[in-house]
Amino acid sequence: MATKQVRYEALVKALHADLYRYGYWLCHDKHIAEDLVQETFLRAWRALDSLKDEKAAKSWLITILRRENARRFERKRFDMSEYEEATIADVKATSSEQEIEHYWLREKIEKMPEEYREPLVLQVIGGFSGEEIAGILSLNKNTVMTRLFRARNQLKEAVDDEPKLRGLHNG
Amino acid sequence: MDDLKFRRSMLAEPNNRDDAINAAIKSDSAKQKFSQELDTLENKIAQAMHIPVPEDLANKLILRQTFASHQQQKRKTRVRLSMAASVALVMGLTVNFMMFSKTYKNLGDYAIAHVNYEASHFSNNDQPRVTLASLNEKMATFKGSFDSTFGSLIFADYCRFDGSNSLHLVFQGQSSPVNIFILPNDEDIKFITNFANDKLQGRSLNFNHSNIIVVGDKKEPIKQWQERVSNHITWSI
Repeated sequence: MATKQVRYEALVKALHADLYRYGYWLCHDKHIAEDLVQETFLRAWRALDSLKDEKAAKSWLITILRRENARRFERKRFDMSEYEEATIADVKATSSEQEIEHYWLREKIEKMPEEYREPLVLQVIGGFSGEEIAGILSLNKNTVMTRLFRARNQLKEAVDDEPKLRGLHNG
Repeated sequence: MDDLKFRRSMLAEPNNRDDAINAAIKSDSAKQKFSQELDTLENKIAQAMHIPVPEDLANKLILRQTFASHQQQKRKTRVRLSMAASVALVMGLTVNFMMFSKTYKNLGDYAIAHVNYEASHFSNNDQPRVTLASLNEKMATFKGSFDSTFGSLIFADYCRFDGSNSLHLVFQGQSSPVNIFILPNDEDIKFITNFANDKLQGRSLNFNHSNIIVVGDKKEPIKQWQERVSNHITWSI
C-alpha cells in the first residue's frame, strides 16, 4: 500500500504540471483543466498497478486525460466562446512587454485548429517525438509531421507579420 | 538538401536535427538565419505554452487521492468485517447444531450407546463406595431422592453423553454391572418402554420430569431393578 502511495505521489509531482498545461491547451479553461487533471489522477490511482513501465507514465496519463476530455463532450457540449473568454482575462494593462507577447502568441495558439495544436502541444510540453505523438493520437507519423510543420509555420508567419499588425493597432 | 525539405524538417521537429540538417545550416547563411529565427520562435512558443500551473495543484491531487482511497479502504474494511461476522455466525450455528443435536432418537438407543461407551470403566467386582447421602445430593438436581439404598452402588455421577446431562448410577449386578440413568424429559428423544440388543436389555420409566432407564445384560432381572428404583424414589415436585 505504501509503495503504491509513494509511486502515486512521485507521479503527481513529476507530471502534474505538464498534464495540467496539456489539459489547458485541450479545453482553454483553467478550471476545467484542473478538473481534468484531478479526474485523470484519480483514474490513474485506480489503475496504477497496470502501469508497469514508468517511462510510459506520461503518455499513459495523457491518454487518460484525452479520454476524460472526450467524455466531457459526450456529457455536454459546452457552447463556450473560448476566444472571447481568453480576451476577458485581460492581462495587457499590467504586464510587461514580454508577457504581452506571450499572451499574444498564446492567443494565436488557441486560435489554431485543434488538429494542428494538439501535436504541437505534445511536442513542446510533452517532449514527445513524432512517432510517440503518432502513437498517442492514433495517427500515422507522416500526418503528424505535416501537422507539426503547418502548426509551426502558421505561428512563424504570424510572428513575422506581428510588428506590422501591432504597429497598425497602436497607431 | 533542398530548401523545402530543410524547412519542412526544421519546422516539424526543430530540436531533432540530423547530420544532414546540421551540415546544411553550416554551409548556408540563409539557412543559418532561418534556424536562429526558429530557435527564437521555439523559445517563444515554449514560454507561451508554459502557462502557470496552480501552486497547490500537486498537493490537492495527493489529498484527493488520500481521501478517495481512505473511503475505499473503509468500505473494504466494512465488507471484510461483515463477511467475517457471517462466517463466525455460520460456524457458531454449525457447532451448536453438532454439539447439541441428539444423535440418538430414542431412549433405548441412547442408553445402550451410553453403556457401551463407558463399559470399560466399570467392573462388576468394584467395591461399593457411594453413600446414600452423596447419591441424594446428586439426585437433588433432578428433584428426587432415594429413601434407602438398594443393591451395591459402585458409581454415581453426572454424565454428559450426546448432549444430555444425565445422572449415571452403576450397581453391582449378577454377572455384569447394572446401569441406571436418570435423564430429564427431552422432546428430542422418544420414550420407549422396552429395548434390547444382542447383549443388553433395558426398560424405561417415565416420571413427571425425568426418565429412569435401567440397562443390564440379558441375565439381569431388569424388571426387578426397575421396581426397586420406583419403590425407593420420591420426587420433591
